Amino acid sequence: MTNTKPQVKEINCESGEEIIRDANEQELVQMAIDAANVKTRETETKAKASAKAALLAKLGITAEEAQLLLS
Amino acid sequence: MAKQTFTTGQVLTAAQMTSLQQTAMLGGSASAKTASYTLVAADAGTAISMSSASATTITVNTGLFAAGDTVQITNLGVGVCTITAGTATVNTSASLALAQYESGTLDFTSTSAAIFIKGAGAYTSLASGTLSSTAVDLNSISQLYTDLYLVVVGAYFITTASQCVFRFNSDSGNTYNQWYGLLTSTTPISETDNTFFQTSRNNVPTSANASTSIVYIRNYATTSAKQITATFSTITDAGGGNYWSFGSYESSTAISSISIRSSNGTSVFGGGTYTLYGVK
Repeated sequence: MTNTKPQVKEINCESGEEIIRDANEQELVQMAIDAANVKTRETETKAKASAKAALLAKLGITAEEAQLLLS
Repeated sequence: MAKQTFTTGQVLTAAQMTSLQQTAMLGGSASAKTASYTLVAADAGTAISMSSASATTITVNTGLFAAGDTVQITNLGVGVCTITAGTATVNTSASLALAQYESGTLDFTSTSAAIFIKGAGAYTSLASGTLSSTAVDLNSISQLYTDLYLVVVGAYFITTASQCVFRFNSDSGNTYNQWYGLLTSTTPISETDNTFFQTSRNNVPTSANASTSIVYIRNYATTSAKQITATFSTITDAGGGNYWSFGSYESSTAISSISIRSSNGTSVFGGGTYTLYGVK
């Protein structure tokens, strides 16, 4: 049977010991939170880009011209 | 020549005289090891080299050496060689772990105790290897190192494309702030309150690449002082854009672990290398 659980490579910097193990429950929860955060940020970034493009179109100026106004 | 007891009237051979001369000129006999080894009495006054791709140990037991005896140990292999107290006591002001090309001397103060005097180096390699699995966690970072440098080169993922990120002490709070920019643009993008350092705002490539990240940590050992951490990256992203980024992280907790992982938490590293250096 294939192991589909995410794995973690752990290195002990004192002893040099290296192990590869399945992610534990706490780590799996954090991974799910990280994935959700990434999606949220991606959505926010896309929404911001769309709003910016719409505003520039409404004003009839380019991004460079808008930058010039703000500098 | 290993330490031995000479007897009255004994005739020394030319080979013994040559060996004694070599020892007297601080070039005692050498013994090459390729696997973990336990010191024996005959190792007194000799130099031991370890050469192994895996982690190894040199074990020190009582009743074999006298006060004043020394054993020099040099690690030639990629695997970390650690001086291990068996039944004897081994103290050091440095680390008992020897990275590749590091060396130290066991200086016995009694039959049951030794001090390990490690050769000083500006940078000590604490861990190095290839990125694999979903996360690479560098744990048990000694607080004896006041400065840490993590160098990550060419990280990429073989499953879902993702960003390569760094997290300290499993701190997933909104405590990481960053700036990003395209090399061809003068307009940086800021990102505050992130839950990790990202090497790039976009996904890293899904194959070998020349992206580089350096994380610097001023790691004060006292909790009264703030840790100052910065990351600098130049990344070619998955779309072929060339990005730079830098950021800062502050915490009053000394950093003892660094996790290198994907931003989505589940992508698997396909390659890239990491090296963590410590400076005392």
